[in-house]
Amino acid sequence: MTLWDLKQGTFATVSAFKASLESGYRTRLSELGFHPGELITCVMVPSLGAPKLYRVNNTVYSLDDSIASMIEVA
Amino acid sequence: MSPDRFNIALIGSPNSGKSLLFNRLTGLNQKVANFPGITVDISSGKSLTDLSTDYLDFPGVYSLHTISGEEKLAVDAFYSALEAEQLSAVVCVVDATRLEKGLIFALQVLEACRRYSTPMLIVANMVDVLDQHGMQIDTKGLSDALKVPVLAISGKTGMGLEQLPQSLASTIAPTEQLLFASDIIASDDSLTHLQAQQLANAYGPKGDLLINAQTRLDTFFLHSWFGGVSFFLIMYLLFQSIFTWAAPLMEGVEALIQMVAGVVLPLVPEGMASDFTADALFGGIGAFLVFVPQVFVLTLVVGILEDSGYLARAAVICHKPLRLFGLTGKSFIPMLSSVACAIPGIYAARTVDSPRKRWLTYLAIPLMPCSARLPVYSLLIAAFIPAHKALGGLVGWQGLAMFGIYMFGIVCALLVTAIVSRSRAEMRSDLPFVLEMPPYRLPSWRPLLRNAWNRSKHFVTKAGKIIFIVTVVIWILGYFPNQGASLGDSWLGSMGRWIEPVFAPFGLDWKYGVAILTSFLAREVFVGTLGTLFGIEGAEENFVSLTQQIQDSGLPIGSGVALLVFFAIALQCVSTLAVLARETGSWRLPTQLFISYSIFAYVAAFTTYHLVEFLV
Repeated sequence: MTLWDLKQGTFATVSAFKASLESGYRTRLSELGFHPGELITCVMVPSLGAPKLYRVNNTVYSLDDSIASMIEVA
Repeated sequence: MSPDRFNIALIGSPNSGKSLLFNRLTGLNQKVANFPGITVDISSGKSLTDLSTDYLDFPGVYSLHTISGEEKLAVDAFYSALEAEQLSAVVCVVDATRLEKGLIFALQVLEACRRYSTPMLIVANMVDVLDQHGMQIDTKGLSDALKVPVLAISGKTGMGLEQLPQSLASTIAPTEQLLFASDIIASDDSLTHLQAQQLANAYGPKGDLLINAQTRLDTFFLHSWFGGVSFFLIMYLLFQSIFTWAAPLMEGVEALIQMVAGVVLPLVPEGMASDFTADALFGGIGAFLVFVPQVFVLTLVVGILEDSGYLARAAVICHKPLRLFGLTGKSFIPMLSSVACAIPGIYAARTVDSPRKRWLTYLAIPLMPCSARLPVYSLLIAAFIPAHKALGGLVGWQGLAMFGIYMFGIVCALLVTAIVSRSRAEMRSDLPFVLEMPPYRLPSWRPLLRNAWNRSKHFVTKAGKIIFIVTVVIWILGYFPNQGASLGDSWLGSMGRWIEPVFAPFGLDWKYGVAILTSFLAREVFVGTLGTLFGIEGAEENFVSLTQQIQDSGLPIGSGVALLVFFAIALQCVSTLAVLARETGSWRLPTQLFISYSIFAYVAAFTTYHLVEFLV
């Protein structure tokens, strides 16, 4: 299961990044709080495939399918 | 660096409240500092409390490990300043409400400062929000752990700021530097977030800080129906504001020019001096000054949208639709900035991390309806569209026409990027979209008003200089050799008739031809040139508005609309071309854009003229 599969109002813990994710983005996601072990809540799923809103600590980020589907959650 | 002068760098993540703090420390008296070899703008301002201290506001970055061109420029600038020993101390601004994220960045800055033996201080900003929630941050504990001073402050309310000068003085003092060589910093990047987490857990506020109101507002503004409707409503109000709401201010400026002309003109001796004052000064430059209030209102409204947090939501809404045209949601902010001016739009395109999407954004920017087009649009719309109002004066036909021509520019921009992205296979690949959603907040009026004022001033001084020179040259060419007796027989008349066949296919006479040619320096020059030409020709005793003169000249409506279309597409801006060349590293793209958009504009204007004349 990836972060993109998370339904609105549900949460999960980051387990790993997909191997194909570029190292620059891996580092940046970690710096933003999306690192293994961190609890992420899916705050909002706008319609028509728009980027979804995820909450990490006290910050909300918008991620599109191309990156949210690279983050594996459990 | 002089020993009695201090340069203090402010560095922090976007949305850490760094700029608000900078404004509070410097009282908004900023100037852009020039660092050799650096192309990024760093604001500099003198401290309000200590004139020997200068604060340098570095652009906000999430990390010292960069992934976008814009970040790389900012981070390189920071390292250059450290390397050149230009900084007395570094103040790292972190958001106390999101301490862990801020500390990851602060630890990177700490490591960089240690490497260059530059003193550092951490300010935990936004403690007013912690106060509201009855929470605290243990600055003493954090300071002891990191072995750097940590101050709890609020850039918004000024809370805790009185301690900053004293903390800075003790940080810069040599004795403190011995303590500075902390060994807490991880050498391995992957451990940095773990350390930040531990520090935030130990000394940061405990509890849930994300205001529920933010989620509620997001649910509304990103809703499939309400979100879409509110997006179009907000954009529509933006265009109404620059026409309908700026009107009283514009009338005020026009009345002021008329009043000054009424006082000054009788004092000027009859003859050439009087003709020059009436035609070139009041006719040419006066016609341009009338439009300054619109630039002010436009910059203010775009600033309000940005400050309120709405622009980031607009980028989310636009991401999927913009992808259809080969762009990304991040292209929305540079494109909207281009509605004010293409130059900040081009700079803002650095935030588009994918080089290909950035290149496509560059194609769209010159077609976005910038404020330099505004005087031309306003003039032509006022001359051709009746000023009827509906819905109790809230909606006007002229505002609607303005909305239409603005939309035309935006549609052209999207069509160009869609065609180019589909015709080139390498343009289809994409980089991921990650965007922080800043909290919604009420705009801070003083910085917004100051920014709108500065932009208007810049508009007047930058464009005003070109307009003055062009106006004087045009006046001389139009006045001689027959002392203004007949504009048609002047030098300008002869030149105009030579180029007349170029613009005759859309019903324009040589005066408009000359005005279009001069507008290739900057679009606003069109209004000034036309004002001067009508001034020489009319030789009225009183100041008559240019709109009135165009209406009296009997220009067909087809030509008016064709002119609007021509100005919506043509790339008549030397500054845009120069900045594009600088950003892309060559003149190839600007040259290609200039030629292709000129041909596109000409063909579209020709078609429009014949279509409108056929229909009306």
